[in-house]
Amino acid sequence: MALWTFLEYAAWGLSALFGAAIVADWIKIDTTYSEDVLTSSREGELEALTEQQHKA
Amino acid sequence: MARYTPPKQSKLGQLIDVIVLLVLAIGALYLPLWMGLAGSTKTPVPQDAPTWESLGQNPTMVEKWNQLGFTDPAAASDMITARFDYSFSWISLAVMVVVIVGYFVMMVRFSETEYREVIAEKFDGN
Amino acid sequence: MATTHEAPEKLGLLRVLGPAHVWALGVGIVLVGEYMGWNFAVGKGGAYAALIACWFAGTLYSCVAMIDSEVTSTVAAAGGQYTQAKHIVGPLMAFNVGLYLVFAYTMLEAANAITVGFLMDEVAKMMGTDGIDQRPFIILAIMFLAWLNYRGVLATLTFSLVITAFAFTAVILLFLFTTVLSGDSPMRHAELMTDLPYGWLGVLASMHFGLWYYLGIEGTTQAAEEVRSPARSLPFGTLAGIMTLLIAATLTWYVCVGLMPWEYLGQAGVPLFDAARLSGSTSLMVLLGIGTLFATLASANGCINDASRAWFAMGRDHYLPAWFGAVHPKYRTPYRSIIFLVPIALIFALGAPLDQVITFSILSGLLGYTFMPINIILFRKKWPLDSIKRGYEHPFHPIPSITLFTLCAVTYFAVFLGYGTQLIAMISFYIIVSLWFHFWRYRFVKRADQFTMPWPRPKGY
Repeated sequence: MALWTFLEYAAWGLSALFGAAIVADWIKIDTTYSEDVLTSSREGELEALTEQQHKA
Repeated sequence: MARYTPPKQSKLGQLIDVIVLLVLAIGALYLPLWMGLAGSTKTPVPQDAPTWESLGQNPTMVEKWNQLGFTDPAAASDMITARFDYSFSWISLAVMVVVIVGYFVMMVRFSETEYREVIAEKFDGN
Repeated sequence: MATTHEAPEKLGLLRVLGPAHVWALGVGIVLVGEYMGWNFAVGKGGAYAALIACWFAGTLYSCVAMIDSEVTSTVAAAGGQYTQAKHIVGPLMAFNVGLYLVFAYTMLEAANAITVGFLMDEVAKMMGTDGIDQRPFIILAIMFLAWLNYRGVLATLTFSLVITAFAFTAVILLFLFTTVLSGDSPMRHAELMTDLPYGWLGVLASMHFGLWYYLGIEGTTQAAEEVRSPARSLPFGTLAGIMTLLIAATLTWYVCVGLMPWEYLGQAGVPLFDAARLSGSTSLMVLLGIGTLFATLASANGCINDASRAWFAMGRDHYLPAWFGAVHPKYRTPYRSIIFLVPIALIFALGAPLDQVITFSILSGLLGYTFMPINIILFRKKWPLDSIKRGYEHPFHPIPSITLFTLCAVTYFAVFLGYGTQLIAMISFYIIVSLWFHFWRYRFVKRADQFTMPWPRPKGY
């Protein structure tokens, strides 16, 4: 049935689209920011951090 | 006491560690599958020319089978007669118990030594 | 595009979630178990066995929820049980618990994707095709949800909240319209129920899939670092979640066994959808069809969320390569962990049979539940009730721990009856990676830095 063939292609296409969107953003972020900033999250420091941002 | 400073791991080292983990994890699931040892299969008991009566189905059940699309008893026969085999050997049960208990004992032991080190450094460290 | 100095100096996850999101995360992951998978318990031991398993597993999970709520109301960090283990039992245990979480959720995600493909195939067949290629739908489900998760936790869990509420309402409506609201009820319990086909051994065996009614409710703790007031929201969301599931599980059982012969139910792919078909109402069928789709999506969505939080937390502590400990500067999600887990979910969703994937997930979950009694007993011993403030204290300690421990032992036996080889293969895997961690990987971990909670020194150390 034509409808389902179409849906299959649509699903392939959308999967590729979402995949491409993720990968593109990933590359952009990794090249824009330094590794030290990206991995600066520390367990337990969050409360202090959110408070800081609320004040700012 | 002296603080422990971990070595810096290279990019390649990080990659190798991830690959090791992946290979082990995928191996754990796929090995039993490839070796054909995985899972319990149900074994049907084939009947010659099965009827709903010979399959032990009452009129309500037959009605439901029909609604589900099984109008011919032969088509539903395998599904109805299939049974799991729950027989097991006490030796393999014992092996399983030893493996599980051994695993947890080992883990708690190693954790304990590592934990004492953490606590010592955290509360006595400088 | 933001430049480097626009981002805050330290990146962290965002505290944006409320108790309803916690409920949606917990119930959303699990509710799919009502739509598929639990019914294998019927196949293992018959209809009554599945009900007994449902309630025993319900007891097991009530213990899990209570114990988990107490510990997590004090340990408010991503990683959930992993972080608990790190603070209470020790690093190697934490590493193992972290892997249990990642595998339980990633395998559950794969199982959900398989079900999406299966459901699409069913619908296509009902519309008169010879069946379709399920792969694009499996891949699309995973890719779409990964993308959603990548873009931020608030949208992700709000999405979960909406579709979970829909799927839960669908179960309630199915129950109402097949019983009290229909003049001529299609239910035939008296004629369809049989004796236990395997006797009491079958009841034990069905505990294996009995877990599937609730598996994943403990995932609420993964949101700890993103909830606005974890000490209050996490216990509330978790305990409300387990109550929702106890109701949904019992209703599901009641409706399904009243509509189908157990031999069919025990192997059905989408039992609630089948039940709606048998009710004779087209609108119920459509409702439950959409419900099934939504339940699988909500579950996969929560799984991506939870698995990536656990993987991220381990990366942040250098238990895994530090590369995974990165936070997206704009969306504030553990984006590298989310990306990394996509191909793994795909490998299992496209390459392994459903019952195997479910078993892998159940086993990882079960190992995690075995850890919990150890965890809470040590927690109460190292930090008695008066030493640190808890947001929630679970009652009757240590009875829940002992109950949980006993039920875990029963479930190991149940898994052993059907899937002994997997059980051994899986434990061997964990033994090998434990040795790998203890003798190799742990050297990259900073010792004192792992202990981040502002707690006093544990008693006896």
